[in-house]
Amino acid sequence: MGPGEAVVQTKDLTKKYGRIVALDRLTMSVQRGQILGFVGPNGAGKTTTIKILVGLARPTSGSASVAGIDCVKEARKLKRLVGYMPDTFGSYDNMRVGEYLDFFGAAFSIPRRDRMRRISEVLETAGAVSYRDLYVEALSHGMKQRVALARTMLHDPEVLILDEPANGLDPQARIEMRQLLLDLANRGKTLLVTSHILPELARICHRVAIITRGRLRAFGTLDEITHQLIQLRPMEVQLTSAEKIESVADLVRRYIEPGAEVRSSPTEAVVWFRTAKREEELAGLLRALVAADLRVAQFREVQTDLEEAFMTVALSDREDPESASQPIAKAVSTGEAR
Amino acid sequence: MNPIIRRELLELLRTRKALALQLGLALLCALLVLVRWPTGATADLSGARSLEVLRVFGYGLLAGILLLVPAFPATSLVREKMQGTLALLLNSPMRPWSIYLGKLGGILGFTAILLVMTMPAAAACYALGGTGSSGGILNLYGVLALAAVQLATLGLLVSCRSRSTDGALRGTYALVLVICVLTLGPYELLRGQRGVAAEAASWLRCVSPISALMEVLSQGDLGSHGMATGFSALGRYALLAPIFSLVCAAATITQLNHRLLDRARSAGVMTQDRSLVQRMIRRFMFLIDPQRRSGSMSLWINPVMVKEFRSRRFGRSHWMLRLIAVCAILSLGLSYVAAAGVLGWGVEVIGGALVLLQIALLILFAPSLAAGLISSERESGSWQLLRMTPLAPGVILRGKLLSVAWPLFLLLCATLPGYAAMIAYRPALIYQFQRVVVCLSLTAVFAVLISAAASTLFRSTAAATTASYLTLLAVCLAPLLIWLGREAPFGHSTVQAVLRIDPVAAALQAADAPGFNQYELLPFNWWIIGLTCVALLLFLGVRTWQLYRPE
Repeated sequence: MGPGEAVVQTKDLTKKYGRIVALDRLTMSVQRGQILGFVGPNGAGKTTTIKILVGLARPTSGSASVAGIDCVKEARKLKRLVGYMPDTFGSYDNMRVGEYLDFFGAAFSIPRRDRMRRISEVLETAGAVSYRDLYVEALSHGMKQRVALARTMLHDPEVLILDEPANGLDPQARIEMRQLLLDLANRGKTLLVTSHILPELARICHRVAIITRGRLRAFGTLDEITHQLIQLRPMEVQLTSAEKIESVADLVRRYIEPGAEVRSSPTEAVVWFRTAKREEELAGLLRALVAADLRVAQFREVQTDLEEAFMTVALSDREDPESASQPIAKAVSTGEAR
Repeated sequence: MNPIIRRELLELLRTRKALALQLGLALLCALLVLVRWPTGATADLSGARSLEVLRVFGYGLLAGILLLVPAFPATSLVREKMQGTLALLLNSPMRPWSIYLGKLGGILGFTAILLVMTMPAAAACYALGGTGSSGGILNLYGVLALAAVQLATLGLLVSCRSRSTDGALRGTYALVLVICVLTLGPYELLRGQRGVAAEAASWLRCVSPISALMEVLSQGDLGSHGMATGFSALGRYALLAPIFSLVCAAATITQLNHRLLDRARSAGVMTQDRSLVQRMIRRFMFLIDPQRRSGSMSLWINPVMVKEFRSRRFGRSHWMLRLIAVCAILSLGLSYVAAAGVLGWGVEVIGGALVLLQIALLILFAPSLAAGLISSERESGSWQLLRMTPLAPGVILRGKLLSVAWPLFLLLCATLPGYAAMIAYRPALIYQFQRVVVCLSLTAVFAVLISAAASTLFRSTAAATTASYLTLLAVCLAPLLIWLGREAPFGHSTVQAVLRIDPVAAALQAADAPGFNQYELLPFNWWIIGLTCVALLLFLGVRTWQLYRPE
C-alpha cells in the first residue's frame, strides 16, 4: 500500500442501537500519512465510528477497513495495525508506568529485549521518560495523556486513532503534542484525531470530517470546507471614525442581498456583513463607499476558520434538524477517496 | 430534617434491590411462623415451641444484619469521596457531624424499616407464648438495634479511611468478622480460668452481639454448656456497644474535613534508588520488596496473570508471604494445642477449628481477590484496552483465574501443616484428612468461580464484591442456621437435605466435627458443588466472551 492510498475507509457505515441511529451511511477515507480531524458535537457518532474502526463494535450495515483489513471479519488482525487512545485512561492500581507499558507490550507479544527498548522509545517520544517509576494512579491528567499516547504507540501501529489527545494538557504540552502528531504523520503513520479544541485541530489536520447526528456533513481540507460551508462571505468595513457609521451600514444594506445580516459597532467604528456577491460586485460597493466620502480605512474579507465552519453546521442542525440528513457542503458531500 | 438523611434514605428505598429485600424478608418471616404455628388441638404451655422459632428467627435476623448492614456504610463515604461530592458537602455550610449524622441516619433508617417488617413474625412468636419470661422479644430487638448501630459506625469509619469502594467493603467485612467472631476466641480458650487475662477475655467477647443474643435466646453463654456464668453478657454488650459506636463515630467525624481530600498519592521511591542500609532493612522486612523495579514479563507466562499480581495490593508477594506465614503458625499452633492436650479438646474439635479457619480464610479472600477480576477492568475503562490487545478472551480469563487460584492454593497449603502434625499424632486420621482436603479444594474453586461470575455481571467492583460475599455467606452460613435448629424446629432429614448444599458443613462432617458426624453429606455435596463449579465455569466463559466481542 503506497503513499496516497486510502488506509482508513468506511462505506455506508450504519450503526443502530434499537431505534436510535447512531451512524447513518457514513462514507469517508483517510490516506496514508494524513491526519484526519474528526469533529462533531457530543453524541454525534464520533466514538461509535472509532469503536467500529478499532473492532470494538460491529456496524449494523456498511463496511469499514483499515489498511485493507476488514474491521468486522478480521478484527484480530486489526489490533496489531491500530493503536487506539480512548478518552478514558484505563489505569491499574499499584502499577508503575514502566510495569503498565510492559504489560501492554507483553500482551502484544513484543519480545522482552525489544519491549524494553520500545518502552524507552515511546516514553521519550511522548515526553514521559521521567514518569517511568511513578505509580500510574499518582499521575496528573496531563501526565496520563502522555502515558496513554506512549501506550498507543507501543506496538508501532500503522494507524493511530486518538480520542481527545490534547484534553487536560497544559499549553506547552499541547504544542509538543501537536508537533508529535505531525512527526508521526511525517513518518507515514495515519492518524484520526478527535478534539473539541478546534483551533488546535485546524493547525495539524490535512483533512477534516464534520459529523452531526450520525451523518457526515462535511469532509475535505479546511479551505474546501470553509469555502463550501460558509457560502456567505463575512466582510468587514473599518472606518477612520464612527461618525458616518449608520450611513455606511445603510449603503451596505442597499447594495447587498435583501435581508442579509449587517451589524455595526460604533465603539470600534466597524461594519460587518455577509454576502454571496463576487469580488467584482464587491469592488462596486467599495467604489460607492469611497465616492460617498464615508471615511473607509479598510475593506476586507474576514478569514473563516474551523470553529466557524463547525458552528455553521451545528447551528443549521439545531435550527433545522431535518437538514442533518443532507450534507451541507455539497461539492464535498462524502469523504470517498478522490 | 437533615437533607442527607432524606437523600440517603430515598436513594436506598428507590432501588429494586431494596424492594426485593423488603419483600423477601416479609415472606421469610411469614413462612417461618406458618411452618411452626400450632395446628393440633394441644397447647404448648412451656413455650418451648415458641422459643425454638424465636431462636432461628433471632439468629437469622442477626446474620442478616451482619451480612447486609455493613455494605451500606462501607461504600457510603468513600463513594462520595471518589465522585467528588464529598468535597461539595464539606464546602457547604453543613458541619462534619451533621454530614455524619445524615449518613448514619439514612443507613439506620433503612435498617429500622427492615426490622419493623420482621415485627409481625416476632409478635407471632410472642403469641405462641414462652418468650416473655427472659425479656424475649424486646431484648432481641434491643441487641439487633445496637448491632446495627455498631456495624454502621464501623463501616463509616472504614469508608472514611478507604481509597476504593471494594477496599472499603473488604476492610469492613474483615473487621465485622474480627469483632463478631474472633473476639469470642480468647474467652473460649480461657474458659473456667481466673485472672486478669480471663476477665479481659470475658469482657472482650461482649463486644460481639453473638454472646448477648445467646443470652436473650436462653442459650446461656458461649461455651458455658448450660452453666450459669455469673454475669450478664447482655448488660455488658449494652454498655460496650454504645461505647464502641461512639469511639467509631468520633474517629470518623474528626477525620471528616478537608484534610481527607488533601492527601497526595505517594509516587513511590524505588528501592534501587534508596541507600544501602535502607535496602538491607527492606530486604529483611519484605523478603520480596514491592518497591523494587520489577523485571520485564516473560512471554511464556500469561501476562494478564502477572498484571493482576502486580496491580493488586494484596496480590503482591510480600503480603502473600506474610499471610501464609501467619496461617502456617496458626495451623501448627492449633495442632500443638491438640497434641499437648492443653485445652482438653479432642482431635475432632481441633480438626473442626482448622476447617473453620480455612473456610473463613477462603470466604474472606476469594471474593476480595476474584470479585474485581472483570468488574474493576470495566469500571476503570481498561477492559476496552484489553479488548484492543491480541489476547483472546480465553487467555484473559485464564490469566485472571490463575491470579486468584495461586494465592488461594498457597493459603490452603499453609494451613495444612496442622493436619500433618495431627496425622503424625494419630495416623488413622489420614482418610479424614484426604476428605477434608477434597472438600476445601472444592470450596475454594466454588468461592473463586462464584466471585468471578459476579464480577462479570456487575460494572462496579463494590457491587460485585457485595454480591459475592452475600452469595457465599448465603450458601455457606445460611444452612448452618437451619442446623442450629436441628431436632427442633427442623427434623434430621430437613437439616441433612439443607446441609448437603453447604461446603462448610461437608468439610466439618469430613473432619468428623461434633454436631455434624450424624449426617450423611458426602459424596452428595461433592457432586452438587462440583457440578455447580462446572456450570459456573461455563457461565464465566460465555460471559467473558460476551463482554469481549464487539458490541
